[in-house]
Amino acid sequence: MKIKITMILLTIGVFSLGSCIRDEAPNSEADITSCRVTSGILIREAVITNEKVTLYVNDSVDLTRQKPEFTVTEGATISPASGTIRNFTTPQTYIVTSQDGKWKKSYTVEYVFSNLLTKYDFEKIKYYEYTNPETNKTIQFFHIFYDTEIDGSSMDWGSGNAGFMITSSSSPAKDYPTCQDDNGFKGKCAKLTTRSTGKLGAMFNAPIAAGNLFFGTFEVNMDNMAKSTHFGVPFKHVPTELVGYYKYKAGENYTNAKNEEVAEKKDNFDLYAVFYEVTDDVQYLDGTNSLTSDNIVSIARIKDKKETDTWTRFAIPFNMCESKSIDQAKVKAGKYNIAIIMSSSIDGAKFNGAVGSTLYVDEMQLFYKPEEK
Amino acid sequence: MKNIILLILGILVPFVSAIGQNESSQTLINAEKNGWEYEMKFGINIGGASPIPLPESIRSIESYNPKFNGMIEGNATRWIGDSKKWGISAGIRIESKGMHAGATVKSYSTEVVDDGSKVSGYWTGYVNTKYNSILMTVPIMANYKLNDRWNLRAGIYMSYMLDGDFSGYVSDGYLRQGTPTGQKILFTNGKQGTYNFSDDLRHIQTGIQIGASWLAYKHFRLNGDLEWGLNDIFEKNFKTVSFNMYPIYLNIGFGYKF
Repeated sequence: MKIKITMILLTIGVFSLGSCIRDEAPNSEADITSCRVTSGILIREAVITNEKVTLYVNDSVDLTRQKPEFTVTEGATISPASGTIRNFTTPQTYIVTSQDGKWKKSYTVEYVFSNLLTKYDFEKIKYYEYTNPETNKTIQFFHIFYDTEIDGSSMDWGSGNAGFMITSSSSPAKDYPTCQDDNGFKGKCAKLTTRSTGKLGAMFNAPIAAGNLFFGTFEVNMDNMAKSTHFGVPFKHVPTELVGYYKYKAGENYTNAKNEEVAEKKDNFDLYAVFYEVTDDVQYLDGTNSLTSDNIVSIARIKDKKETDTWTRFAIPFNMCESKSIDQAKVKAGKYNIAIIMSSSIDGAKFNGAVGSTLYVDEMQLFYKPEEK
Repeated sequence: MKNIILLILGILVPFVSAIGQNESSQTLINAEKNGWEYEMKFGINIGGASPIPLPESIRSIESYNPKFNGMIEGNATRWIGDSKKWGISAGIRIESKGMHAGATVKSYSTEVVDDGSKVSGYWTGYVNTKYNSILMTVPIMANYKLNDRWNLRAGIYMSYMLDGDFSGYVSDGYLRQGTPTGQKILFTNGKQGTYNFSDDLRHIQTGIQIGASWLAYKHFRLNGDLEWGLNDIFEKNFKTVSFNMYPIYLNIGFGYKF
């Protein structure tokens, strides 16, 4: 019996030896988790994405001497140090190094006066790039449309491409849902295509990715994809009309979120702009409330949609929402946001749509009421 | 599963019919005189497939269920020499090895490849794993008779996986795409990402086995065997699970010595 007991003890010993939880490794992440600036200068909460911090400020702010303070992932360090005085007339770069020292991330920190450009020709793109610190190789993933504002700052158009990248990181930029195309109405244009995300997409219950393009940022939220899109940028005018050109072709097989074909349904696109008041609890709109939020004061939404392979002009007026009014003082103080939103599948945020649905958009312009003198 | 039951029956039936026939019993007695011994063993496997040691990225084991893993084995031992102290045995067994485990991980590197597309990155959060395999195993053991009641043995085994399942889900956490500084993809409010790597399980497994038997009553023995797998449960070219997982099981059961 002794031997048996010894053997059992030995076995238990071996098991526990193999199953010891080891000491926690130092953090490998390098995020800016929050940002604080001189009080009273911001007109919005700091917008922090994975590689950029955007600070919308009052027009009177002196950008030559600003000292933003950052908090970073536990144990990580930031260089230059948090609180360093720098000249932000051009965007500044910060490097965050992880606690374990193995990973570095570069952040662009930009102060913006919100002199939003109102003509969009979709000629300018840059790539979403990633440099692997281990191999020092830079990989280009997808197109990001951007416009350079009157004051020299820039605005990046948001898209859901970062979500598509999860499952299709090896796709060429032109195979992403949102990309630039050569055959615009004038020069180049934006091309939005509803794409299949393949077997891996189905694994995450996200079988399709609609092409979309909007004012705002994108942060993948798997439990509610519609919440991934954060719509809106500050706008200090009262918008009146959205004008531009489009072409559209619906994909053949309409499928639902379970990737089942819905025979009787035909896909359609969406194109609209919303003007809304920013309040403490509503800093931005997302895919769940971009047409329904109580903060919206006016909406311009395309009505006469059709499939067409020739460039077709649209001119959509902003309509005031019921019982809403615009407060001029708030407009001047930058209390309103505008978001232009377009998608190749109208229900794409819920993964309903037809793979292949394609929307081209070009030469878009946002009109607004001239300043009252 | 049906096939496996048939297989087990296929192995059992000749044994059972051997017991049932006097003529065969006589054969068994003669065989024993010549140093042969036959045994039917039944038992359960308790253990799991585990990386050794646990990688730093595993922060806690939230739940563990060894499941009921049955085992049935027929084996023959040839005792050598006059003293018949030493013997060599070979057998064939059908067994299942499985587990159901939940763990939290931090910055766990993973890469899921499928049809040329892939998801790679670092996962922080909860991982639920269900592992189950049905194996046909051939153990070859050296046996030592300590006394009338106690036998000790050690040897090697080779298994062929007849059926295998390795699947589960991740939830309550986030994936950093590509590297720990990549885009953060949140999985909250019960949102799950499922996985199934059953097709990547290795079919041929080898391992070492040590064990002991205690003769409890006439023909009945109590058996305990530790089966320690020497191969990762996955194919060599499978990189999604970044560490090797070894099947380590303690088999406890009884045997009928003919």
